[in-house]
Amino acid sequence: MGATAMTAGTLGTASKAIGQTKKPIPKDPIKIAAISFLTGAAAAPFGIPGYNTFAMCADVINKEGGILGRKIELLSKDEAGGVDAQVKLCRKLVLEDKVDVILGYISSASCQAILPLADELGGLIIAYDCGTHELMEGAKSPYEVPKFKLGFRSKAHLGIDNIGLALVIKKYFPKIKTIAGINPDYAWGRESWQIFEVAMKKLMPQVEVVKTLWPPLGNTDYTAHISALMGAKPDIVHSSLWGGDAVTYTKQAMGMGFFKNIKMAYSRGEPYPQEVGKDFPQEQIICCAGTHYFLYPPHDKSPLNKWFVAEYQKRYGKYPTYPCYHAYQAIYAYKYAVEKAAKAVGGWPELDDIAKATVGLSFQTPSGTLTIREDHNAIEDVLVGFTKLTPKYPFPILDPKRLEVFPASQVNAPVGIKTVDWINSWK
Amino acid sequence: MWVVYTLNGLYFAALLFLISLGLNIILGVMGILNLAHGSLYAIGAFIAAWIIIAIGMKVPPFFLYITLLSGFVLAGFVGFLMEKSLIRFMYKRTLEYQLLLTFGALMLLEDVIKMIWGGQAYYASAPFDLLGKVDIGGNIYPTYFLFVMIIALMAGLFIWLFMSKTKLGIMLRAISLDREMATGLGLDINRLSTFAFVLGSGLAGLAGALVVPTTPALLGFGHEPLILGFIVVVVGGLGSLKGALVGALLVGFTRSFGIAIFPEIELPLLFLIAGIILVVKPQGLFGR
Repeated sequence: MGATAMTAGTLGTASKAIGQTKKPIPKDPIKIAAISFLTGAAAAPFGIPGYNTFAMCADVINKEGGILGRKIELLSKDEAGGVDAQVKLCRKLVLEDKVDVILGYISSASCQAILPLADELGGLIIAYDCGTHELMEGAKSPYEVPKFKLGFRSKAHLGIDNIGLALVIKKYFPKIKTIAGINPDYAWGRESWQIFEVAMKKLMPQVEVVKTLWPPLGNTDYTAHISALMGAKPDIVHSSLWGGDAVTYTKQAMGMGFFKNIKMAYSRGEPYPQEVGKDFPQEQIICCAGTHYFLYPPHDKSPLNKWFVAEYQKRYGKYPTYPCYHAYQAIYAYKYAVEKAAKAVGGWPELDDIAKATVGLSFQTPSGTLTIREDHNAIEDVLVGFTKLTPKYPFPILDPKRLEVFPASQVNAPVGIKTVDWINSWK
Repeated sequence: MWVVYTLNGLYFAALLFLISLGLNIILGVMGILNLAHGSLYAIGAFIAAWIIIAIGMKVPPFFLYITLLSGFVLAGFVGFLMEKSLIRFMYKRTLEYQLLLTFGALMLLEDVIKMIWGGQAYYASAPFDLLGKVDIGGNIYPTYFLFVMIIALMAGLFIWLFMSKTKLGIMLRAISLDREMATGLGLDINRLSTFAFVLGSGLAGLAGALVVPTTPALLGFGHEPLILGFIVVVVGGLGSLKGALVGALLVGFTRSFGIAIFPEIELPLLFLIAGIILVVKPQGLFGR
């Protein structure tokens, strides 16, 4: 404690009331827990790509010297097993294993249960993939931010996906009369549909919703749902189905002749053409959960994307999909925040310092610029495209002539304002 | 579209019929409620998926469909092992022991599946794709679903003929009607029970194998069919083969039409209907 008085005076930095110790940079590794679905239907399209990217980035960062000279020790954990198991795991990681940060969670259900633990347990948690907008929003507009002192999300929430879809549908299909929805029956699905429906009502009030279906998360048989949708005859069907559910649904729908007369609008459909393969139907509307796409930004405009795609392909033999880009964002958000905080305090930063440094953090990613705001949520542009089979790739890509990118300001609600209220306030 | 909803209802009913037929044979002949029945369904699915992926398009299409029988064979074999090692100790025990032991078997089999096949999803759609689609009254319908219905019908007919016309079948029915009398008449209860368990398990495995061309095999695959199978058995009447058919049709149609007409209450609708039936007829529609 003796060193405190000396350093607090010397540095004159923003120090705590207690008096900040200038901690020398430790030599031991930084323990980063990365949590993703390693088993189950979500593993192949999501969890494994996410984990692969964490491993890849940790390796690259370590080869370049680590974070402030400290190597990263990556602990990979399985998100499967239900929310109760995840809560137990989080407690163990923070209290027993004393990890430096948890980067995790694909499922909105996981995030909703875990983020409040950040402040309760005093551990830094960065949500990397889940989309529920209610996670950080308050009960009414305007609401106080941030909701969690030590909880962050290194990506935009589902608002951008569903607003983006509505904007594209208005632009390309202004004459449609009916829409429907098939979404998983939990926070993610309900909220995705809610934002989409509110946005559609605002942009195209003449369009009627003819059916909304709510299969349980992890449902494997969509036969009845597909027939029900075909019976309702919508022009376009919205879906936030993801992971194995999206692949199974699409394959079953293909088998039942669904795509002959109906178009799908997948709010996070970017990975599935690659997962399903050559037969994935063309002309489907696909949103990229941001602007995350192996072909966007074009490699001549973004050397970072070019490197990211090439490196991922070299290691894993596939093109990276949006969980990969999200994983990159999470681990680099932590790295840059620690570096920024260390500069501010002149030594190894405490969790509060890192949290402070994360606000306003803005950095380049393979998809563009990511900015984390004072509500601890990030904002991103959004990319929506149309599937098209080209000779160059063994699965449909997004038609390069119709890549619709909407800037962050058009699809992210302002700080402290609920997304639904913001959409309703549009002129 | 009502034609399609009806056909879907028949398709679900076909699968549920196979599952609950197996459950009822075991229940009727042995008086055992097997909670691990869903795991046998899953084993059937995994082995069929695995073989289909392995041999794929390398064999003539006819053999591809024969591989679906592998589900029946392996599940039957696992059932045999289960019966010899676990189930035979339960005949004199009360229901709680049965539930506990078979639930333990469920967890065990789940881990065995994970050990052998891992945590990934197995898609094996070749048998489905090969049969293409058919036009029924202006509606496109996958031919594979009709194939499943035919198989289930054939299995049902086979079991019915077996139970009513063959000596072995009559012996099984005798045991299920009056175990003590059957023993007194000199029937080899042990061997017949084993046979019933193997047959019932095999039917569950067959159902799993039939579903795999449309639905990926993955962990937890057997949970929902197990619950639905039990609803069918309870609503149709414990041990009744006719009950299995009627119960399966009821549950199948509830699912198909329920999702189309009342999507918001997709999950509880079935339980609501089952509850109403059981209030009126607690022993099930055809129960004794």
